[in-house]
Amino acid sequence: MAERAAGTDADSASGSRARFGDRDVGTLATYLAGALFWGWIFLRWLNDWSGGVFVPARQAFVPPSLFRGVAAGVPVVGGAFEALAFAFEYAPALVNALWLTVVLTVVSIALGFVIAVPLAASRVYGRVSAWVSVAYIELLRGTPLLAQLFVLYYGFPWLTRFFRGLPGVGQGVLPGQAVFVAVIGFTLNSAAYQAEYIRGAIESVAPGQLVAARSVGLSRVEGVRFVVLPQALRYAIPGWTNELVYLVKYSSLAAFITVPELFRAAQNIASSNYRYTSMFVLAAVLYLGVVVTATNLMEYVGRRVAVPGISGGEGR
Amino acid sequence: MSSESPSDPPLLRVEDLYKRYGDEEVLNGVSFDMDAQDVQVLVGPSGSGKSTLLRCVNRLTEFEGGRIALDGTPTDEMDENDLRRQVGMVFQDFNLFAHLTAKRNVMLGLRRVRGHSKEEAEARALEELEQVGLGDQADSYPAELSGGQQQRVGIARALAMDPKLMLFDEPTSALDPELIGEVLGVMRDLADQGMTMLCVTHEMGFARQVATDIMFLEGGHLVEHGPPEQLFENPRHERTAQFLDRLTSLHGGDHG
Ligand SMILES: Nc1ncnc2c1ncn2[C@@H]1O[C@H](COP(=O)(O)OP(=O)(O)OP(=O)(O)O)[C@@H](O)[C@H]1O
Ligand SMILES: [Mg+2]
Repeated sequence: MAERAAGTDADSASGSRARFGDRDVGTLATYLAGALFWGWIFLRWLNDWSGGVFVPARQAFVPPSLFRGVAAGVPVVGGAFEALAFAFEYAPALVNALWLTVVLTVVSIALGFVIAVPLAASRVYGRVSAWVSVAYIELLRGTPLLAQLFVLYYGFPWLTRFFRGLPGVGQGVLPGQAVFVAVIGFTLNSAAYQAEYIRGAIESVAPGQLVAARSVGLSRVEGVRFVVLPQALRYAIPGWTNELVYLVKYSSLAAFITVPELFRAAQNIASSNYRYTSMFVLAAVLYLGVVVTATNLMEYVGRRVAVPGISGGEGR
Repeated sequence: MSSESPSDPPLLRVEDLYKRYGDEEVLNGVSFDMDAQDVQVLVGPSGSGKSTLLRCVNRLTEFEGGRIALDGTPTDEMDENDLRRQVGMVFQDFNLFAHLTAKRNVMLGLRRVRGHSKEEAEARALEELEQVGLGDQADSYPAELSGGQQQRVGIARALAMDPKLMLFDEPTSALDPELIGEVLGVMRDLADQGMTMLCVTHEMGFARQVATDIMFLEGGHLVEHGPPEQLFENPRHERTAQFLDRLTSLHGGDHG
């Protein structure tokens, strides 16, 4: 184990200088692309929320007509400029809707994580609570997410009414009640999947370590908290990243309970301009940007918290 | 020390201990005493219940019959976490906390169980690591240490809790032969400093030189119990003689 850890260090150290010189350039390019992508998105949000500091709300920073002019004048690559003009025309509306996609994903994955950790721990260490966990996890994983959303939204109308009655909901920056219901649905569902990833990781921590923790006088709960979980959560990072990526894409199901997130926005615009393919390609590019960012971010986190002998994905 | 009267309770008293797993009777009425500063070596064939006996002492395992008392207090009347704080345990597979450096392995119990501040715990941890000859490895992770070094961290981790009694469960069995000596050396130093130790080990050199008593456990019975000279030279049971002979030819080397 010691040799392997040392070997990896040596490889990456010498590699960054000589053999894989272009890998650094690649990393740099990734960061640059990410900075451009998110810089643009944040500027757009800032612009649209403040009622248009740079350009009128929901209008492109660069006027699409600029590209249209070029497209008309250039014979062969004109099509590309036409596509660019299309992108610049509709991207602002989609970026606006992307906000809800990001909120749905980030809030649900975070709340889901808070539920998932005790769920996983009680499935491994509990007695009665283990059965409760298993029942919950299997129910949520065994039924379609869309059905779960429908049950929450249409089956429990009081839930929607409750959120609508809260002050400020649907006004200003606070999203509408359907978003709250969607967050509950995604949270409950994601908690079940995250719990399974974390359970697998807990089980891959050598059980002797918990015995050792208890033998110095830590309680079982303290042993799990200070010895097992810090390792299990490191092991869980790759699986957890998977769940994050799924959730980015599954957040589009909120469209079916009226949440105007990215997918629904693309669909709405397409139903008036009839450019379905182009609109969905544009939306897909935005989804891809979010997913690639999430993956890179989690890889970075994994590297930051790696410890000799324990890094994400090991130990299974 | 010298004023110990016969009426003082022994440091550890194990009385008529019974333990079964399902239908299997693992311990069948085991009784023995240990005085402070005793080093008792427990030997016996695989499956004879040695590990189970140690785990009953610090209540990692509950037992069906009998009594165990530490310093005169029945262990079932003590808070189990407090009991374990007072009884150190060292494992065959080291069981170090893999995500923590050597220093932090030792600090965890000091912080969470003994309530030391970070500074206090760190100072104490470094002291314990010095004791086992690992002052220079305080910031190494378990994966960066040899087996012998890991086991010495395991010993330091237990010692930091100021235990009254140390339990060793085959502390050298997972080690390459050339690493056994450094761990036995640390155990020998501990014994010299007066630590009370109950050791499951097959290292007969260590047993002969360090043990005050040797206990031979077989089939859940303490077959024989006495000073090393008696068990090696004049065993009362033929089985004891055979077993010790075999161990000596396998693990008799003087590593320490
Ligand atoms: N948790 C358990 N559940 C069921 N049976 C167990 C458990 N732990 C130990 N046993 C059984 O109890 C018996 C004694 O085991 P123990 O580990 O105490 O033996 P040992 O003397 O330490 O052996 P070894 O030299 O192999 O370590 C064995 O037959 C074992 O199978
Ligand atoms: Mg054993």
